[in-house]
Amino acid sequence: MKRTAVLLALLLAPLAAAQTPPDHTPVDLAHAESIAGPPRAARLAGAALEAEAKHIAAVLRCPVCQGLSVGDSPSAMATNMRQQIRELVAAGFDEDQILSYFEASYGEFVRLQPPLRGVNWLVWIAPGLGLLLGLGVVSWVLRGASAETSETPAAVAATGPAVDVVPDPLPDDPALAKAVLRVRELAYGWPGGVRPGKD
Amino acid sequence: MNRKVFVAGLAVTLPLVGLMLVSLGRDPHKVESPLLGRKAPPFSLRPIGGGEPVTLASLRGKTVVVNFWATWCVPCVDEHPVLTAAPQRYGSDVVFLGVVYEDEEPNVQSFLREHGAAYPSLVDEGGKVSIAYGIYGVPETYFIAPDGTIVSKYVGPLRPDLLDGFVQEAQARAVTRRSDAR
Amino acid sequence: MTASLGRALILLALLAASAGALVGFAAGVRRSAAGLAWAQRLAYAYAAAMVSANLLMVYALLARDFSVGYVAQVGSREVPNWVAVTSLWSSLEGSILFWGLMLGLYVLGATWTNRHRHPESMPWAIGVWLACAAFFSFLIAGPAQPFHTVPIPPSDGPGPNPLLQNHVLMIIHPPFLYAGYVGMTIPFGMAAAALLSGRLGPDFMRSLRTWLMLPWVFLTCAIVLGGWWAYEVLGWGGYWAWDPVENASLLPWLTATAAVHSAILVERKGILKGWTVTLILASYLLTVLGTFMTRSGVFNSVHSFTQSAIGPTILVFLALATLFAVAILALRIDRLSPEGHLEPGVSRDMAFLLNNLFFVLLTFTVLIGTVFPLVVEAVRGVQMSVGRPYFDRMVVPIGVALLFLLGVGPALPWGRASAEQARRALLPPLGGAVVLAALGLALGVRNPWTLVALLFGGYAAFVTFSELWLPVGQRIKVRGEGMLEAVAHVQSRGRRRVAAFIVHGGMVLVMIAIATSSTQGVTVEAQLVRGESVALGPYTLTFLGVDRVSEPHREALVANVEVKKGGRDLGVLTPRMNYYATQREPVGTPAVRSTYAHDLYLSVLNLDAQGQTLGLHAMINPMIVWIWIATGIMGLGGLFGLLPSRRIAVALAPAMAVDGSLSPARSR
Repeated sequence: MKRTAVLLALLLAPLAAAQTPPDHTPVDLAHAESIAGPPRAARLAGAALEAEAKHIAAVLRCPVCQGLSVGDSPSAMATNMRQQIRELVAAGFDEDQILSYFEASYGEFVRLQPPLRGVNWLVWIAPGLGLLLGLGVVSWVLRGASAETSETPAAVAATGPAVDVVPDPLPDDPALAKAVLRVRELAYGWPGGVRPGKD
Repeated sequence: MNRKVFVAGLAVTLPLVGLMLVSLGRDPHKVESPLLGRKAPPFSLRPIGGGEPVTLASLRGKTVVVNFWATWCVPCVDEHPVLTAAPQRYGSDVVFLGVVYEDEEPNVQSFLREHGAAYPSLVDEGGKVSIAYGIYGVPETYFIAPDGTIVSKYVGPLRPDLLDGFVQEAQARAVTRRSDAR
Repeated sequence: MTASLGRALILLALLAASAGALVGFAAGVRRSAAGLAWAQRLAYAYAAAMVSANLLMVYALLARDFSVGYVAQVGSREVPNWVAVTSLWSSLEGSILFWGLMLGLYVLGATWTNRHRHPESMPWAIGVWLACAAFFSFLIAGPAQPFHTVPIPPSDGPGPNPLLQNHVLMIIHPPFLYAGYVGMTIPFGMAAAALLSGRLGPDFMRSLRTWLMLPWVFLTCAIVLGGWWAYEVLGWGGYWAWDPVENASLLPWLTATAAVHSAILVERKGILKGWTVTLILASYLLTVLGTFMTRSGVFNSVHSFTQSAIGPTILVFLALATLFAVAILALRIDRLSPEGHLEPGVSRDMAFLLNNLFFVLLTFTVLIGTVFPLVVEAVRGVQMSVGRPYFDRMVVPIGVALLFLLGVGPALPWGRASAEQARRALLPPLGGAVVLAALGLALGVRNPWTLVALLFGGYAAFVTFSELWLPVGQRIKVRGEGMLEAVAHVQSRGRRRVAAFIVHGGMVLVMIAIATSSTQGVTVEAQLVRGESVALGPYTLTFLGVDRVSEPHREALVANVEVKKGGRDLGVLTPRMNYYATQREPVGTPAVRSTYAHDLYLSVLNLDAQGQTLGLHAMINPMIVWIWIATGIMGLGGLFGLLPSRRIAVALAPAMAVDGSLSPARSR
């Protein structure tokens, strides 16, 4: 696919060059075509153009800034690049083509979102793998815990604060007892202030 | 001794520390230009102060040195005498071009009047050529072989010895090409 | 003279720290009380030497004593005294000396408050603190020596980096950051002590948690202050760019936050001891990694110091500290035996567990994204970037999951809950969720992630508020107390709990504000000729002209932009472009007009010297102010929880209230 695109570009390049008048557009479309191949997307205008251009500017790194995207940077370079992106979108280049156009002059460094090539896929799957691993560890720990508790049902009652062998006592004064229950409910989250599972 | 903890701990931390060690001498500001060894992006730009546009394609067969610079950039001012002295040393086989990067035309004109100019400096409207050449800052200088390929890029102020080396490299490329063809 | 005295003080600090580390470890092995006393004395000596060295440096900076190397490097007769004092931390060498000061104060505080406690663990803890202190003293004495003598002192110095004088936040931010970073040494030492002594009881855990919370509070504020600085100074209208150095400060915060939570399980149930200790050790190691990242020049960042020999030295320390941590974990983790069980099921315990899972996952994701360009360069030899689009995509779902837990976790009861109990606990807060999401929809929020954040945020806000209100309400109803009296009682009895929910409330607000501000903004870019206007939302912005300003360290072009809203004149905003003699590109300073609803944010794209045209970038950033306010709430809430609390037995130890006696201590 890519090779045919390059081939096509080579065939078309002289044609395109011949057709372009001494241009005053902010981007050399013939040059862009020689890099990215002929435009693959629909020509955009108005709000659709602005939206697409904004989207692309957000994933391009401003080369003269520190880690800012072309969309975020207030620098003159980024302003120029935004203008180029608009022209390219208007000419019908798609996101992939526009990114590879800038990549041809700035290198992969200019993409803020790593393309899927070489070891780059690692950075995309790592968080997912991490999640799976973490869930695995958690369920393993829980299974161990539940196996233990099912072996010794008495231990279930013994969890929590160490002094729990005595059932939770209450003062005799009913008003105070009620208050203690409330406070227990709030402090421990026991519904009604009664230890769950102590029926 | 909990072996599992030991192995897991090292498995997590060692690669990280190792990675930092490997990267220690790294200069994050040096990005290899993908243009090296490729055809130089074409341009046709108007010189400062007026005149016929300079077109890269018309310089095929000559070694071309393209220097991106600005008057507000201190290292550019430092290297200016080196560059203005160079053309007469190399003769007509080597063409020097300046491309002005994000600067006002009057500033450049008065600078050149004061410090002298030995070759045209070109106006890069909208940063078109700067972007095509992947400029990260100024000064940056490209060396283009007679066959139109970019041979090397230098970031920072040039010294005469560096300049000689790069120009010779670009010229040598033309020689090897010619001998290949034979 | 001053320089030699300074060097002597640093050597003294190095000596005290090294000796104290050895004495501490020896006392730990032999369980010797005399050894502990000596370790404490040496800790005080180290602190005294470091404080004196810093005072001496401040004196030299104020006296403009250019025979001291660091003063010759950053001092100037031109700058006012407050700038002279703050230049103590404005440059690399000084910042390491300042690091020593912070460590001295922390070691002093932690040693003093625990002087009569935990005799079995404290020798180890002091040993580890002083071992770290010895390294940083060595760094100051060697590679980063700020006190070297200048043989022929210059008559004046260059002054601190003009870029750092751009904003007062740049001066406040570093002390907070160092207080956060350096402070992690204390929990690190205590966690190591728990392992080395093989004991982590609830009492020691409580002290450990206190000393973890203090740097946590500072780190929280530091991260947000850094973002605030970026927002006020860098001019792109955002506060977080996923820059490597920003990430470096976030990483230890994430693990420390996880540890603050798992520590509760350690205290309450005696479980997850080894895990909590691991998180604390990791937090410190990540601060060291962050220090390396900022000071080695390996990363491309706005915040980096320049390259120096300090980087490799810190890397050696990182390697040693990591090895130490892994070794003691492997050797001793089995001694920290659990005293309880984790019960599977829908419960608050599970929420804690998932909280830890997601915080660690977040740490892992941010870490891998940050260092990945180095991996690729090592493997493929290609420079590449992992930037904001990647982090946004990866981090937002995890953040939303954490926001979910922030609501559901505290709503759930401890232990195993029946389906009925769970339903009773979980249903009412849905009201809060629906209200906030509906409010968002009504105000025009359409972004699905933002709506989900509002839904979970509303839920969490409801839970947090009711957790804070219920005990107060109960007291008013049951005891007939007045509002203020009830609040006073509740906060003094369950202070840590109250503090925790205040912090939660702040966090909910921060997350809602982040979600809203990052998706609901409006932006306009315009080229304006003098007198021309552009409309942005309800505002009309008119370019009035340009003033040229000359300041000692820079020249500036100041654009005057008149702001009107519905015909009402709101004054003139002045975004500017600053030109530094030493700087290639001009640096803009944006102008911000904050309201509780949104900020109006103006920055200059370009400006011609004649003042005829202005390239203006104008933004409406919703809810930004609430990020700063909510962080203040979090910080104050955290500090509030650290105040000594007068706990009374009824609430927290049911077994002690056997005969209605409220004072178990007296009854025994």
